[in-house]
This record gives sequence, C-alpha cells and structure tokens, in this order.
Amino acid sequence: MKNILLKAENLSKSFSSGGALQHVLKNIGLELYEGDFTVIMGASGAGKSTLLYALSGMDTPTLGRIAYGDTVISGLSQDALAIFRRGHCGFVFQQVYLMEGMSVMDNILAAGLLVSKDKKALCKRARELFAAVGISEEVQRKFPAQISGGEAQRVGIVRALINSPEILFADEPTGALNSKTGLDVLDTLTAFNKRGQSVVMVTHDMRSARRGNRILYLKDGAILGECDLGLYVPGDMARHEKLSAFLGEMGW
Amino acid sequence: MKKNILLVRASLRRGKGQTAAIVVLIFLAAAMLNLWLMLSMDYKQNFERSHERLNEGHVTFVADGDSGKMGGLLEEAMENDGRTAQFSIDPAMHMVGLFRFHGGEVNSEFVFLEKEAAVSRPVGRVEIIEDSSYKSGIYMPILYQSDSIAIGKTIYISIGSRKIPFQVCGFFNSVMAGSHNCGVCGLLLTEDKYKELKEKGYASEAALCSVRLKDKSESEDYEAMLKNTLSSAYPAARMKSNSYALVSSSRYISQMISSGILSAMAFFVLLIALVVIASAIMNDIQENMKNLGALKAVGYTRRQLTGALLLQFLGIAMAAAIMGAGVSYGLFPAINEMMVSQTGIPYEIRFLPAPFFLVLGILGGAVSIAVWVSSGKMRKVEPITALRQGVQTHNFKRNHISLENTKAPLDLALALKTACSSIRQNVAVCITMLVLSLVAVFSGLMVENMIADILPFLNLIVGETADSCIHVNAQAEEAFLEKIKEDKRVEKAYLYHSAEVRHVGGVDLPVTLSDDFSQLNNQDVVFQGRFPKYENEIAIAAKYAKEEGFQLGQEIRVTADGKQADYLISGFTQMTNNLGKDCLMTREGYGRLGELRDVGYYLNLTEGTDIDAFHSEVKEWFGSDVNAVINIEATVEGAASVYVSLMRAIVAAVLVLGLVIIAFVLYLLVRTTMGNKRQEYGIMKALGYTTGQLILQTALSFMPAAIISTVIGITVCSFLINPLTAVFIRNIGIVECTFRVPARFNILAGAGMVLAAFAILCLLALRIRKVQPKELMG
Repeated sequence: MKNILLKAENLSKSFSSGGALQHVLKNIGLELYEGDFTVIMGASGAGKSTLLYALSGMDTPTLGRIAYGDTVISGLSQDALAIFRRGHCGFVFQQVYLMEGMSVMDNILAAGLLVSKDKKALCKRARELFAAVGISEEVQRKFPAQISGGEAQRVGIVRALINSPEILFADEPTGALNSKTGLDVLDTLTAFNKRGQSVVMVTHDMRSARRGNRILYLKDGAILGECDLGLYVPGDMARHEKLSAFLGEMGW
Repeated sequence: MKKNILLVRASLRRGKGQTAAIVVLIFLAAAMLNLWLMLSMDYKQNFERSHERLNEGHVTFVADGDSGKMGGLLEEAMENDGRTAQFSIDPAMHMVGLFRFHGGEVNSEFVFLEKEAAVSRPVGRVEIIEDSSYKSGIYMPILYQSDSIAIGKTIYISIGSRKIPFQVCGFFNSVMAGSHNCGVCGLLLTEDKYKELKEKGYASEAALCSVRLKDKSESEDYEAMLKNTLSSAYPAARMKSNSYALVSSSRYISQMISSGILSAMAFFVLLIALVVIASAIMNDIQENMKNLGALKAVGYTRRQLTGALLLQFLGIAMAAAIMGAGVSYGLFPAINEMMVSQTGIPYEIRFLPAPFFLVLGILGGAVSIAVWVSSGKMRKVEPITALRQGVQTHNFKRNHISLENTKAPLDLALALKTACSSIRQNVAVCITMLVLSLVAVFSGLMVENMIADILPFLNLIVGETADSCIHVNAQAEEAFLEKIKEDKRVEKAYLYHSAEVRHVGGVDLPVTLSDDFSQLNNQDVVFQGRFPKYENEIAIAAKYAKEEGFQLGQEIRVTADGKQADYLISGFTQMTNNLGKDCLMTREGYGRLGELRDVGYYLNLTEGTDIDAFHSEVKEWFGSDVNAVINIEATVEGAASVYVSLMRAIVAAVLVLGLVIIAFVLYLLVRTTMGNKRQEYGIMKALGYTTGQLILQTALSFMPAAIISTVIGITVCSFLINPLTAVFIRNIGIVECTFRVPARFNILAGAGMVLAAFAILCLLALRIRKVQPKELMG
C-alpha cells in the first residue's frame, strides 16, 4: 500500500475570459502517491498545466480541497503557499526560468537558502546534485545565457531538488529541447525517481510519458482515464504497447 | 509623419505612468525656470522703468544747512561737471529717526519733503500710489503699508528725543528714496505739517539734490565728487547721499536670492527629468527590442524611429512646459508680494514673451539632447540582432555578491546583486539623493541661521549688533561713559560709530570706528586678517578689495574733511551696509583725518531690560546732548522679518518640492524595476519567496545608491553650502559665508531621507503582492 502524498477533492478552476466563464478544471478528485512518477497527459487546452499548478500550490483553485498530509493548502494565503512550496515542492519548467542575473550556482543557492541556513551543507548537496546530472564546476560558475538548453534544464532539475522536495513537479520539461538533450533530461528525472523522488510531470510527448509508472489522461478539464504502467524499464515494449493502447482508448 | 504618430501613440499607451511622471517633472522645472527668468530678466527692469518714468536721479544728495546756501554750492558744482544731464534742488528737512514697523523699528536717515513739491520735482519725482481725503498728515513709502501703517491711522516718528504723531494720508513710490534700504528714506508731509515741523526745528533744514547723469555708471564717482565739494567748503557739514549703483542693488537683495534659489532648483529638477527621460528611453529600447527589430525589418529608418521618440518626448515636454510656465503666472503674485515687501517698488504682473519662449527653448533643447543621446543604441542595432533580442541585458564579467561566499543574509545579498547590476537605476537614485541632500542642507542652514535663531544671519548681513545704540555730543562723551558704566543694566558699552571717508582714486567707504574692536559682539566681521589696532591700520570690505586688487599689508590712501592719510590694510571685512564698500578704523586712526562731533556707542544690556525705558532715562539724564537713540533689537527685528518670512516660504517650498521629486523618481524606478524583473519575481515566488521578501529586496536594492549618495551629498554639501550661499549673496558684499552648519540636523535629515526613500519604495513595491507566481511567469 503506497503512502498518499497529496489528495485533491472536487478540484475546479475557472477563468473569466471576455466576460464568459471558462471552466478549465471540473470537479477533479485525485491522489498522488509517494515514490510514483505520475504523468499527466492530454491534448492542448485539456487543463494539464492548470492542474499541475493547482496541485503544487502555484495557483489557487476556484473550488475544491487540496491536502498534503494534514496540511490543506487550498485555503492558504499567497505567502503561506510560498512558504509551503519551499519545503514541499520542486519545479521544473519547460522554459527553465533560471534567473539571468545570477550564476548557475547562485540560482541553486537562491532556492536552497530559503530552507537551509547551513550554507556549507547546501553547497555540498548542490555539488552532489550537479555531479548527478553531469554539470561541471565550470558550468556552475557561468550565467544562464552562457550555457546550452540541455545544461540549463539539468540546472533547473538541480534547483527543483535542492530542498529535497516531497514532490517534483515538471511542466513539459523536454518541450523546448532537442531529441538528444530531451532524452538526457528524462534519464535524469527517471534516475531521481528510482532513488525515491516522487515526480509529477505534464507532457504531451509519448516518449516522455513512458517514463511514468502512472498515467493520468485529462480531457476538457476532467480525468478521463488512468493507466498503471509499472516501473520504467528501458526498452520494455510491453509497457509501450500498453501505453499506446491506453492513449488510443482515450482518443489521443 | 503619420508613421511617427502611430509609433508615438503605441509608446504612450505602454507607459502612461512614466509619461505622467515626466509631465510633472517638466511642469515643475518649467514653472521654476519661468519664475526665475521673470525675476531676473524683468523684475529688476521694473526698477529701471520706474526710474525712467519718474525721471529719477542717479545720485541723491542731502546736505544739512540753509537750503539756499548749500543748494547754491551744489548747483555750481553740478553745472560745472560735464557728466550732469539734469538736476533738481529742493528744500527739505533731514534727520535720523525711527518708527515702529512689523513689530520692530525702522531706523533711517529721513528726508521730509513737502508733498506737492515732491510730486512735481523735475528730477526725482515721487508718485502717489494711494491717496485719501485727509488733508493734514504724512505720506509714507508704499513699502511700509501694513496693518499698523494704514490710511487714517496715526504713526509716531521719533526724531532725536521727540516722538511726533502724524496721520497717514497716503502712500507714495520713490525709486531712490522709497525705503530704508536706499540710505535716504523720503517722507512726504502735507504743507501744514511741513511748516509745523520746520517751525519747531526738530529736524535740520537741508537741501535735497537729485541729479541725472549722462552715464549712470558714473553714479558712485559723481556722488563722491559732490561729497568732496561740500566737505571742502564746509568740513563740518552733515550730509547723506546714495547712488544709482547702491540703490539698484540694495532694493533687490531678496529678488537676487530668490532668483538664485529658483534657478538652482529649476535646473536640478530639469536634470532629474532628463535622467528619467533617458532611463525611460533606454528601458523601452531594452523591453521592446523585438518590436524595434520588427520595425526596422519592415523598413522604418533610424531617422523615423528617432523622430518618433523626439516627437513623443518633445510633445510631452512642450505641453508640460507650457502648462508649467502658465501656472507660474498664478504663483507670481504671491512671490511678487514677498518681493515688494523688500523692494518697495510696485510691480505690475504681465505676460513676458521672452522668458516664456526661453523656457520652451531650454526645455526643448535639453529634452532633444537627452532623447538623441539615450536612443543611440536604437539607432545602432541591426534589425536581425534586435529580433533575436541580441542586446545583452547583463554583462558576464563578474558575479556580483556570490551567494556561496557572501556573509550577507539572503534577501540583502539578492538586493545587492540587483543593485550591482542596475547602473541606470543607481545613477538616477544618486542624482536625486544628491539634489535632495543639497536641499536638506540648505534648509537646515536657513533654519539654523535665520528661522530658529536670526543672530548668525544678522552677524553676517548686518555685521555688528547690540541691544542699543546711543549717539551723544562729543563734549558729553566722558560724562555719558561715567554714568553708563555705573548703570547695572549695562553689560558692555563700546564706541561703534559710523563716519564717511573716501578712497583716494576710488569710491566712498563709510567707516566704522571703535576704540577697541575686541569689544565687538561679532568678531567675524573681519574674516581675513584682523581688526585694525593701531592708528595707521584699516580693515576694508573684501568685495571692494577684490575689485581693486588690494592685498593684506598693502597701503591705501583715504581722505576725509579735506585731509589725506595712508593706512595699512590689516584685514578684510564683509558687511552689507554699503553693499561691500566700507571699512573699519580705530578712533585714533580716524583722528588723522577728522574729528568726531558726535559719538555713537553700542550697548549690551542685561536680559530683561526695557530698552525703550532705558533710552528715555538716558534722554532725561543728558537732554539735548543725546542726538539719537536706537533700539537695535527692534530695528533689526523689523528689517529682518521680511527676510525671515521670505526664507520660511522658500524652505517650505523646496522641502515640499524635494518630497514630490523623490516620490516621482522612485515611483518611476520601481515601476521600471518591476517591469524588468517581472519574470524573475514570478520565478522567485514559484521557488517560495514571499511577497514581503520581494518587496524588501526591491526596496533594499535601491538603498546602496541612496545611502552612499546621501552620505556623500550631505557631507559634501555641508562643506560646500557656505561657499555656495556666498555665491548667491556676493553682490551685497559677502565674500565668505560663515553660517553655522547644523551637523546634527544634517545627519538626521540624511537619515530621514534614506528612511523616507525606503518607506516610499516599500509602499510602491506593494504592487508585487497582487500577482500570483503563475501569472508573473506568463
């Protein structure tokens, strides 16, 4: 029996657009489990990113309840949510969003120092993570504009993991990368997941989706279906076929 | 042109707040520039206009004695002098006197004239400004019109030991004798009152002579010629005079100070406006680099793009300048009212095209240059580079404040990182805080030396002050001193007497004599060298010494009573009594030239002594041997109140203006920062930074520049404020300003400025709290 990390109930999100109310998420009920690599798939406009941001406390739902263990975050203020995110959530974005005016190392420390005051230990962990994702010391001293897209995304993953979050949220992390670097990033995420890191990833790329053990399919703001793929094993064609069949079933 | 207008409209839509701030700054600069130009270009011209309208003389000369005899001598001298253009000689009465004004006293050399004669003088005519049906009484200079000196009210004029009541019948304007600042102050009496005063013999009969010269620049020399002529013929003759050069300056001291301050403030505000415009343009180029690339790609030329910017900012600047210059006409009546209380010459406000167009020209030119210089990057960038956002926003030479190595707390370290990489922001903050430092230090100086305690101002401007001044006949001096020394109310009594000498080959130098200058309350009268100690020494006005190239230790030949003598210059003085043309000598020193028939003593009285009552007692003791008594405290209070109110208004105005400017500049900077860092704020919020942390970081990022520039500004301004103030008042004879610089006030003001800036920044940065991280990243 897996531990529940996050539980969402009756989650709805609406936007007002041109005077008309647009319901992006509709009454979603969902549980995320410890150690899972959950993939949220769906067509463009299905509400994947909105769901990710709502679950991670980056955005507030219009209706519903989100609880991390005993902490209900759906009613928290912006600042309380910010403090909550520091320790519980890590983010990897499609556009990476490193801070241009800071060196690679400073980008990591700017996130890490929010939680840990032990700078020495923090730097040690940062270096370990950099080593794990294959970022050299030379790159650590560079500025974001001076490194490649793949390097930047791996730095983004280090930043997301620096505070040992309960869940790592990734929003299309390979969307802006070429095939080779995209694969490197997926390998990195998979490796951390294998070490026990819970990951929730939004993607519309089947190759990326294969890395997950649990696939949620979103359509018109509601979860249309769910597929349990089991642990990722490279070259496992059975998983691939199962995923293809599931997605076919979902009308993808 | 149409294309340019389209670009301008798009740009204005993007930056409404920025446009509003530029409008306000240019508006303020235009209003102050126009006021300054009106004051400096036309206000003093009003003196010229009145002078011409009333066919005023360039020299006014009063000689006591029989008007026929004195007048005859003067007439001959004037007719024989080729510089004379026209003159008028009339009988008058002349005496030192005083009256109450503005809670103090006006003490001056009064010249009483019969009203009808005065208004019909061919040269030196006076004009009645306000008349009444009262047929018997006095007409006062318009300068003194006040609650207590009004038509129908009674004014008491003290002449010698007598206090004579007159009913005020009206007010007049006289250019050369309409104020105590002129040296000679005219008072008009109705025929009956004039006869009555003459019959009673309270004031000496005199001849009043007004001369127009072919060349007004000769006025001081001509005045000296008349004095020489009279004193050669009548060494004991009592005389008083003024010249065009003296009066045209002394009546416009407040105008000079105000226009100086206005011009300084106007140019500071303009400088800030230009920094804001330059910063706005550079930010706009940075933020809209892709749009710029697209415009260049579709065929817009560099000229068109620069033209659009010029059109936008010149349009804003000209509209704001016209509004500002227009509003300055609304403010001018209040300034005029303050000025008239010192000049005493009515000024009619009207539209002045020259200052108006000059304001537009100055502002237009300055804005055009700022636009041209700051849009250089836009002209140079290639379209493809711009489309690729190819202009780097960060230089990668150094990682300022590395988080790994710094000991600073996280928020401070991040704020310092921003501060180190924001050169434009820092420059704008520095300029603003430096200007405000100057404003704060100047305000502190004025509060300390004028508003809170007027003594330092008086010491600088008036020179020596005491509680009382008593003039007695020289024969009665010994008895007077004996009696005074016994009186327990008298703390100190010392000779401080004014007489006239003339620099041979130069101008008149009113001389102040003393037995012992170490007795003076104000030892700063001589600011370089020392007071004269021996009979062959003289201390002369620094301004005159500078003009004539005199050095300490040099010899100067002076003359009086037909004698000449050489004196060594022992020190330089700065007193404004004769606008920087005067000197000090010991009594023995003066004895080489002339003899004193009347001696003036300055007295310090014990705290709480009723000065007027004391004077009454002295008059009782010595009767007719007392020539004059002056309540210096009251006299100074009356004269100084005008300057104090003027300075109070100036200080209040510059402080309010300073606050408005700092708020506007910081608003623009925070707005720009928030625009530039919008995405970064989003990322940081996503990472878990609270709104409070981001507000704090934003406010703190301005603080290094604010603190450093304030510390430098306050320190440098504290050292420079006296020399700077001296520049504004150099025309009245002040070479070295010795005001007390209030260090504690300046430190507090600096701290207050930094804290106020921090508070304003935090308030302005509150906008961050409304935005969610996901929206920021969009």
